[in-house]
Amino acid sequence: MSDAVISTPFHVGAGHARPKGFADFFDGISAISHRVEFEFDDVSRTLVIHQAESPPFIWAIDELRAIPDQADKKKLVLTSKARPLARLIFSGETEIAVLRHRAPKLSAKPPVRGKRRVIAWAAAAVASVFVIVFVLVPVMADQLARVLPTRGEQALGEATLEQIQSALGTEYLPVDFCWTPDGQDALDTMLARLGGGELDLPYLVTVSVLDHEMINAFALPGGQVVFFRGMLDAASSPDEIAAVLAHEIGHVAARDPTRIALRSAGSLGVLGLLFGDFAGGAVVLLLVEQLIQADYSREAEAAADSFGIELLLDADVDPGALGTLFQKILDQFGSASGIAAHFASHPTLGDRIANAQAASGRLSAPSPSLSGEEWQSLQAICD
Amino acid sequence: MTVLTVGIYRFWMKTRLRRYYWSSIRPGGHPLEYVGDPLEKLLGFFIAVVILAFYIGVVNLILMFISFSLFDGNTVAYLVSFLGVIPIWFYARYRARRYVFARTRWRGIRFGVDPGAWGYAWRALVHWAITILTLGLLWPRMTFWLEKYRWDRTWFGDRQFDQGGRWTVLFFGFLPVWLIAWSPIILVWQTGGDSETALGLVVLSLPLIGAASIWYLVRSFRLLTKSKTAGDVQFRSNARTPRVLGIYVLGYALTLLVTGIAATGVSALLLALAFAGTGSEFSFDEIAKTLTPETWVQIVGITMYFLVFIAWGTFRHVFVTLPIWRHFTETLEVIDDASVHLIRQRDRDAHREAEGFAEALDLGAAI
Repeated sequence: MSDAVISTPFHVGAGHARPKGFADFFDGISAISHRVEFEFDDVSRTLVIHQAESPPFIWAIDELRAIPDQADKKKLVLTSKARPLARLIFSGETEIAVLRHRAPKLSAKPPVRGKRRVIAWAAAAVASVFVIVFVLVPVMADQLARVLPTRGEQALGEATLEQIQSALGTEYLPVDFCWTPDGQDALDTMLARLGGGELDLPYLVTVSVLDHEMINAFALPGGQVVFFRGMLDAASSPDEIAAVLAHEIGHVAARDPTRIALRSAGSLGVLGLLFGDFAGGAVVLLLVEQLIQADYSREAEAAADSFGIELLLDADVDPGALGTLFQKILDQFGSASGIAAHFASHPTLGDRIANAQAASGRLSAPSPSLSGEEWQSLQAICD
Repeated sequence: MTVLTVGIYRFWMKTRLRRYYWSSIRPGGHPLEYVGDPLEKLLGFFIAVVILAFYIGVVNLILMFISFSLFDGNTVAYLVSFLGVIPIWFYARYRARRYVFARTRWRGIRFGVDPGAWGYAWRALVHWAITILTLGLLWPRMTFWLEKYRWDRTWFGDRQFDQGGRWTVLFFGFLPVWLIAWSPIILVWQTGGDSETALGLVVLSLPLIGAASIWYLVRSFRLLTKSKTAGDVQFRSNARTPRVLGIYVLGYALTLLVTGIAATGVSALLLALAFAGTGSEFSFDEIAKTLTPETWVQIVGITMYFLVFIAWGTFRHVFVTLPIWRHFTETLEVIDDASVHLIRQRDRDAHREAEGFAEALDLGAAI
């Protein structure tokens, strides 16, 4: 398009073309609406805005900016970098065409101001969330777990268990417990063999089985140890279950589950805060994931291991069974599933299997933790 | 976009939407202008996160601990934690409104709201307490006084708004809501019916309560608008209840329909992709087999979850929010007099945390 075509409707001056037109003008100082005549000066590349009683505004064309996202597509709202509060509103089609043609930087983005401050606060936000989730909350949880009264701890365990049951269930039906009189007797016998009743704990350790195929077991605040059915199916001897039970009792004795539960109470809300509206459901999933995976620290795992091994040795049960079980799960499912992934990612898995096997050498005459009959009724607890 | 950027884009989206909505309101032929900056919203969000992360992490943990040690359960913790958020919620609402007004211009002149968020928060709490104690009967009183608190602190340029009138004029409009809400309980109590009858009556009364509430809202809006002034400038609203009710009913029906169609279409597509990915032919026997790789199910599930969420939000905007907005603004008259010309510019309100608290607490103001 040439200038001549565009500027025909306008007056052509003596020297060069000075296209003119009318627009509404707000000066950004008072609310008065001015009807003004404007004029392009192509030589000095300026837009001259004539006012009735005061000298004209002269805006550089390169500093003109259009206000974006306007609902009225027939109008063009203009401002100038020099007077960001003032507004010039064009309504005529030809005027807008002339303007668009002459002012190339209409839609240039304003420079980003305060970028540093945003980055600083972003860093502060990330840092504070990080400190709260990974330092403050864990430290507080550890301290509080030590002084939480017994009843409170048990209540916390019950609440946590309910959450796990409903999260793993389908269609609003929470996962149920498996229970047969003989099966429960077998579990209690095993627990008694390991000395579950003689531990120096303010509450009794209890064992139960959840009807879910996951190969896992976890301990809850208040002395509850829960096996998943998948774990019973995967084990080939009662000693393997006994070894896992002894390990979980080790966590109970150290109050590890209480710490984790308190920790997640504090930190998950913070994560939900960060992701805003749409991640609400995801946070709940995350919570459950974390509770079940029960990511204890390496030290806590090692302590639970050695506690478990001692329990097994005292009870004349072969601690090597733990190693056998891990190995079997690894072979069978690769590294991608459940407890295997959890333990496989643990760098000391090899050491732990070795430890368990070394400890088994210390036992001269191991005896199975359950009789054949008891083991059968335990395996049938979900039938 | 919002999904891809873990929610960060929403600040830009909001800014653009507001610019568009504001410019579609043209009192006296001149459009409103929204000049908020997405970056300042992001900054405000970060500031709020720093403060709220502490509250949620540490305070909640302590509450949880106290609740479990003293009361053997977490109900108390949730209750206290919830009650603790309420004043912050009102505080955030006021600040968000202050921010939005500070970034709104008309005729090149800024709006503004005086600081007063804590005053608003405690007043709101007291009004709520009174409302609850009177079994909801004094709700209109709360509506009026909170509206008055907000508008008496609102400015256009150097001109201050004033909310006149009395709360009692709103009372009549609230009676139907109140009567319908309580009638099932009174009926059951009088006739000695069981809890199932009561539940049935409550369910039956819900649509009626909805309609009555809309009548109350529209009527109050008209009355409150009529008694608002800014100097000599007066306002009048001709918003109509049937129209608003119609927009809500039709709008939500359309939103539901379109989201449903979109969800069905997308899940069929994803399912087809899953089959293509495993190279099997389509048959229902195969579904179980194909989907066993749990990753596929998860991907489809999560994508669907977000898509449905976003589709719902978008279509609700198009079919409900925008038409409601349009109706209220189209029927709003500014009874302008020459004195508008006397209004002068006001200073910029820096308002550093923008509407960060409201964002972080997910208050979801209409826009």
